[in-house]
Amino acid sequence: MKIKIILIVLLTLTVQTLFAQVDRSKMPKAGPAPEIKLGNYQTFTLDNGLKVIVVENHKLPEVTFRMEIVKDPILEKDHAGYIDIAGQLLKTGTKNRTKDQIDEEIDFMGASLYTSGQSIYGSSLTKHFPKLMDIISDIILHPDFKQEQLDKIKKKMISNLKAAKEQPNAIANNLRKVLFYGKDHPYGELVTEETVKSVTLDMCKNYYENYFRPNIALLALVGDINVKEAKSLVTKLLAGWQKKEVPNFKYKTPKKPLVRKVAIVDRPTSVQSVVMVGYPVILKKGSEDVIKANVMNSILGGPFSSRLNHNLRETHGYTYGARSVLASDRFVGYFNAACTVRNSVTDSSIAEILKEMKRIRNEEVSDDELTQIKNYLTGSFARSLERPQTIATFALNIEKYNLPKDYYKTYLKKLNSVTKSDIKAMAKKYIKPNNSYVMVVGKADEVAGKLKRFSISGKVDYYDMYGNKYDPSVKNLPPGVTIESVLQKYIDAIGGKENLLKVKDKTSVVEGGTQGMNIKITIEQKAPNKLYQVVDFGTGQQKTIFNGEKAKVVAMGQERELKGDRLEQLKIQSNLYLPLEYKKYGITPELAGMEKVDGKDAFKVVLKTKSGKNWVQYYDKDSGLKVKEQFTISVPQGSFTQTTKFGDYREVNGVKYPFKLTQSMGPQSIELKVKSLKVNTGLSDSIFDIK
Amino acid sequence: MKSKILFFVLFILSSMFTFGKGREIKFTEFDLQNGLHVILHEDHTTPIVAIVTVYHVGSKNENPQRTGFAHFFEHLMFEGSKYIKRGQFDKIMENAGGTNNATTSQDRTLYYDILPSNQLELGLWVESERMLHLKIDSVGVETQRKVVKEERRQRYDNQPYGSLFEEVFKRAYKKHPYRWVPIGSVQYIDKATIDEFMDFYHHYYVPNNATLVIAGDINPKKTKEMIKKYFAGIPRGKYKIKQPQIVEPPQTQEIRDTVYDKIQLPMVIYAYHMPALGTPDYYAMDMLTTLLSRGESSRLKKELVDKQQKAVNSGAFVYPLEDPGLAMIYSIANAGVKANELDSLMQVEIEKVKNNLISKHELEKIRNQVETDFVKQNSTVNGVASNLATYHVLYKNTNLINKEIDRYMKVTREDIKRVADKYLRNENRVVLYYLPKKN
Repeated sequence: MKIKIILIVLLTLTVQTLFAQVDRSKMPKAGPAPEIKLGNYQTFTLDNGLKVIVVENHKLPEVTFRMEIVKDPILEKDHAGYIDIAGQLLKTGTKNRTKDQIDEEIDFMGASLYTSGQSIYGSSLTKHFPKLMDIISDIILHPDFKQEQLDKIKKKMISNLKAAKEQPNAIANNLRKVLFYGKDHPYGELVTEETVKSVTLDMCKNYYENYFRPNIALLALVGDINVKEAKSLVTKLLAGWQKKEVPNFKYKTPKKPLVRKVAIVDRPTSVQSVVMVGYPVILKKGSEDVIKANVMNSILGGPFSSRLNHNLRETHGYTYGARSVLASDRFVGYFNAACTVRNSVTDSSIAEILKEMKRIRNEEVSDDELTQIKNYLTGSFARSLERPQTIATFALNIEKYNLPKDYYKTYLKKLNSVTKSDIKAMAKKYIKPNNSYVMVVGKADEVAGKLKRFSISGKVDYYDMYGNKYDPSVKNLPPGVTIESVLQKYIDAIGGKENLLKVKDKTSVVEGGTQGMNIKITIEQKAPNKLYQVVDFGTGQQKTIFNGEKAKVVAMGQERELKGDRLEQLKIQSNLYLPLEYKKYGITPELAGMEKVDGKDAFKVVLKTKSGKNWVQYYDKDSGLKVKEQFTISVPQGSFTQTTKFGDYREVNGVKYPFKLTQSMGPQSIELKVKSLKVNTGLSDSIFDIK
Repeated sequence: MKSKILFFVLFILSSMFTFGKGREIKFTEFDLQNGLHVILHEDHTTPIVAIVTVYHVGSKNENPQRTGFAHFFEHLMFEGSKYIKRGQFDKIMENAGGTNNATTSQDRTLYYDILPSNQLELGLWVESERMLHLKIDSVGVETQRKVVKEERRQRYDNQPYGSLFEEVFKRAYKKHPYRWVPIGSVQYIDKATIDEFMDFYHHYYVPNNATLVIAGDINPKKTKEMIKKYFAGIPRGKYKIKQPQIVEPPQTQEIRDTVYDKIQLPMVIYAYHMPALGTPDYYAMDMLTTLLSRGESSRLKKELVDKQQKAVNSGAFVYPLEDPGLAMIYSIANAGVKANELDSLMQVEIEKVKNNLISKHELEKIRNQVETDFVKQNSTVNGVASNLATYHVLYKNTNLINKEIDRYMKVTREDIKRVADKYLRNENRVVLYYLPKKN
């Protein structure tokens, strides 16, 4: 019978729909805006100072316990992590219960319980809540920290720290914290294996004794509970918690960098770069700017349609998602724009982020954009109210940050009064593309070179995963490699000392071309360091003659004596046995690390001269041969770095010489090939005479 | 008048079965003539509404030469329609104060919108537009190819153990399309053509393959009218939709393998074949994995993590799938602990459940845990809407949202021992070691 009725109904309905006309081209209009009601909460305070917030909501038969300790942040220094460990120790035993008992009792109720250095969170169905509260109060009032449990926690933390070495986001967070706040600020210090190892039971006990106190604690009870029940439970179980004066701390306020800097953590296995642009920001919780500044940041990098995501994801396809955060804080907040991108677009992504940061500072946002973001934020606010925890968060914030009691009640009104000029003012004040850290966690080999352009100094700073700065070339040296071993290996590689000393003179002809011009160079050298060199450009010649003491250059009919740096350079470089005689010239070779030359590992050697003019050589890690050399030449126009790369080594009379040389200075480069090379042809001294 | 009767009838039908613990989720459901299944749930606590649309298509419907297709297509569903310009989709939603997203699994693709309740009609318009008028062009496809590749790198390739499911499923299944995972293989992302996408759209994104759930601050009668207004005119699909009928042959030999990954701590994982979601043994297996890993007192956490300190974490879970799926048990080593040590300790725990009945106290504990989860799973309107859709589409029984708990409560200690014996056999599993890759 009933089925028949349904059939008829369905038939009628279908007939109706056949006639229903829909104009799909028009977006439907919104109905009248619903009233957004904030749930209420009540508070009471125990004699020991514990402030309790009750958010009553009977939708689900569930109650949660949320307690926070509100204190100044503490600098843990060499023992970073002890506060966290003390928090974990809390649920590992009391005077009345072993860890096994606590675990078993919590799980048997299907409840959950988390403890940290500054909070306790527990949740259970209503029927189990008194029992849960009983366990929590036992934890707070009668903890029993044991060495055995401390050891377990430390072991696990150290393993987790090891695991974090492969988590690019964890590494990025470390870098961000250290750069923004510095390691001498509680927000910037990092927990490492060493700091964890140094934590003692006494540190944890002292922390608990001094800081786990009701007079600085806020407790929110949320859900299926009323004030009367809450009061009787809390009074019964937590009134005996003793209050105590808690120390306060002050810290220097971290500052933005004066100019934009670039920092990288090298992760050679990365297939993507984590990219961030950010800096610390002074934006106090509840201050007048907070709501306006949040609207501004939401336009820049809040929801899916925000500028950053639209640009980097939807327009360029660089990333799965790009967002920015402008965090207010009791002490010091931060701005950070972030995304994860494939290696090849790392620099392009940073350029787009900086572009969007500049755009929001320099251009007024459109009316549509402002309306849209207000609508979005209003909707987010309304949606968040679905969870009773939101009301608890509001109440806790009002207490923690001393906000006006109606801060959240008037939020939507304040949100709606934000204007376009407010947005611009907030952007000018808080968006600082030129005072930011550009941070990358990724494969330095592939991405670091292209990052220099974002750094005002032109430098990319390298950090390890704990925010310690290092010189990337030094870091990679294999053990046992010394400057002596590198130079000896080179001499062995080219044929050995004995063979080298057999060379009395050398004549080579070198040819090459650049920009349509052909060059032919003839070089004659005689021991110890005489030189006669002719460079033929086709259109003219340049001769350099050096007799071991004095040098002159003849070009275009003019003659000039060489002095100063150039002369010193000639003296040294014309020496046929130079690799054996650095000492003679007062040169100190130093091993500066390992870098890549054309994708292959090479030892970097800095030759320090008496005059302070250093030059750099690179020796291939495997062959031992010299593969690259760099000089910085100072001329009146400024200083230039000239780079020569060596290849195609061939043996002549027992000694290997490079037959291919690539010289470059700035954007220009020239490839030179040795056409002939002869030794010991008996060059006459008269060739090198200077009149 | 007549529609009131219909409402009444359905109301009785659904309320007849609901006497479970916790909050009862009342709902009405009906089909439009074009086959669209509609479920409504009224809850005025907050002035918001959740719209969940589930298409019964996932990666198991893909051509093996186009793995990742369903997920890629999910991205294209945000591109635009006849009346919604490319790139406007998310803007419209955000401008209305809403939020939206989607997920693709092996079995289904789920889209959700959460909006202020006065924007319900807008949400229905948008969802009906993309069911009827999806428009994709080469610019959108090319952009999303890049985005999806980044998604794959970010979530799977560049994360420790990120390839876990991919590595497990490709070994556990030889024939069934569960042998690949929804993200698919990167080499196919560039291959699909716009014609293929549109063909997929006309095949699967049709009302007779979709379920629409509206939950929250609604007037059911008006909502029904609105749904008809926007969805009734969408034509039923021309294709006959068939779910894959491939039966994975039973595994007869243990599969052991090693994956080298960018990790520091070794991981050991067992993956056992087990029955599909919703079957009696599925519930027993779910209870069994709860026993092994839910909470600090659970067997794996107590023994491997706390007592012996060999693992930083250890757990077990069932992977609910429409066709027979997998139960997985894993441990991540503490620093310095070898994978084979973990392996033997895990095996000891497996033998315990196979050889001994669990205690009455333990059964009581896991029942309490299941009950808590069951009560909490419906705490938001979007959660309710997603659950209603999932129960209808994959479990074929919407009212499980209120009654599934009974199936768990039927599980006995003997059942748990029985399923342990039946499924936790070596020849029925894949064992994978994740070991640090040497540079």
